[in-house]
Amino acid sequence: MRALHPFTLLAVAAALPALAWILPAPAGGLATAGIAFCLLGSRGLRRGLWPALVAAAPFWLFLLLLHDVRTTLAIGLRISTMVASFVWLAAVLAPDRLVEATVARGWSITAAYLFAATLSAVPMLRARARRIVEAQRCRGLSPRGSVANRLRALRALALPLVLSALHEVDERTLALEARGLVPGARRTPLAPPPDRVVERVVRWGLLLLCLAALVRRVA
Amino acid sequence: MAVSATLRLDGVGFSYGAEAALRDVSFEVAAGERVALLGRNGAGKTTLVRLVAGLLHPDAGTVWVGGWDTGERAPEELARRVGSLFQHADQQLFARTVREDVGFGPRALGFPVHEVRRRTEEALDALALHAHAEQHPYDLPPALRKLAALAGALALEPMVLVLDEPTGGLDRGLRAHVADALREHAERGAALLVVTHDLAFAAETLDRGIVLDGGRLACDEPLAPLLGSAERLKPLGLVPPTVAALSVALDLSGRPVRERDAAHALARVAGGGPGL
Repeated sequence: MRALHPFTLLAVAAALPALAWILPAPAGGLATAGIAFCLLGSRGLRRGLWPALVAAAPFWLFLLLLHDVRTTLAIGLRISTMVASFVWLAAVLAPDRLVEATVARGWSITAAYLFAATLSAVPMLRARARRIVEAQRCRGLSPRGSVANRLRALRALALPLVLSALHEVDERTLALEARGLVPGARRTPLAPPPDRVVERVVRWGLLLLCLAALVRRVA
Repeated sequence: MAVSATLRLDGVGFSYGAEAALRDVSFEVAAGERVALLGRNGAGKTTLVRLVAGLLHPDAGTVWVGGWDTGERAPEELARRVGSLFQHADQQLFARTVREDVGFGPRALGFPVHEVRRRTEEALDALALHAHAEQHPYDLPPALRKLAALAGALALEPMVLVLDEPTGGLDRGLRAHVADALREHAERGAALLVVTHDLAFAAETLDRGIVLDGGRLACDEPLAPLLGSAERLKPLGLVPPTVAALSVALDLSGRPVRERDAAHALARVAGGGPGL
């Protein structure tokens, strides 16, 4: 899956949620969620399905509290498709390949970098969060036990994580500008990912499918 | 007289998957000892620090801190005996002021208010941080944030201080504060284990050198003669600090590695004394 062209991965990840909202509920949502979770299943339970299930669970809970079962099912399946598609995309899309593909196409490097940086930030933030938790534990803070303990631990994690991430964004922006990454600049593509004809056909096919579904829905 | 070890490693081994990071490492550090943990990148130094702090548990052997087996204790429990400073320590600060952050450890360990205050103020004093005590940690430059994190470790008043690159990014003045604070804590009985690539700082502050190479203990001996020997340091990926190299080049008496000792030796030479 990682060998596919980044635009193909993006097209699949965008088409599934779009179809989930366009197609009639709950069958449309069920089908798109099924496909999204099948794609995720190929990444394994721990790295694929589990994060998506954990992320989608709160939405289901709130929907159940606010709506009847039918509406919950309709919206929940659509939201689950969105969540599963994003988790799948984050797992299979290599940010550097996306940047290369965008550069090769002559598109805006800044937009591609923004998107790629967002994806690559996830493992970086996870590693940083682990480091911070370890440091706080070495200062005597227990992340286990009562709710108060856990809240205290959460504060000791969240604040440095967010502040250091903001600080890094600031530094990274300056570093990128200093090295010529400004809007409108042309960048030399070194190893653009191959874009096969069949993948282009798939992408156009997905776009047409979404448009057709939309036209049918509106009509 | 036998000196009881505050920190003891008995045949410690640790692997990341199939890759061995430490193999059969054994040594002891007594109360008040100031030990430099040296070696090239990837030698296993940071892994060893994490083992002592209880963040990792050895695959083989045992790490003892004052009679506690670190493999059987959670890091937050070990915080009563081990003060740690990690490479990205400046990222761990979260309180509204430096003072509040420095006092975080003693509070987390449940010390009474007057004890928390005493430890906090002494740690701030030790690193000359009083001028910044009411500032938000993230309003400080990274070097001062690192000092604030070190003050947090000192405030625990641990029996063992394990510090990973405490002087990285610090200027000469701040390094001097760190050196003074570490000497003071060692004099009070803390065992120091300091990972550093800053051999000049090690020469000025620490007395004993433990060198890891490829996860094995390559040498464990007094620091001064080790730092003066370029032939021995080179295969370990280390280079003598400037003062040590100068002492050797000028064949100064006693081969001093500390600036003050070298200055005295040079003064003796200049004065016609038996320095050279």
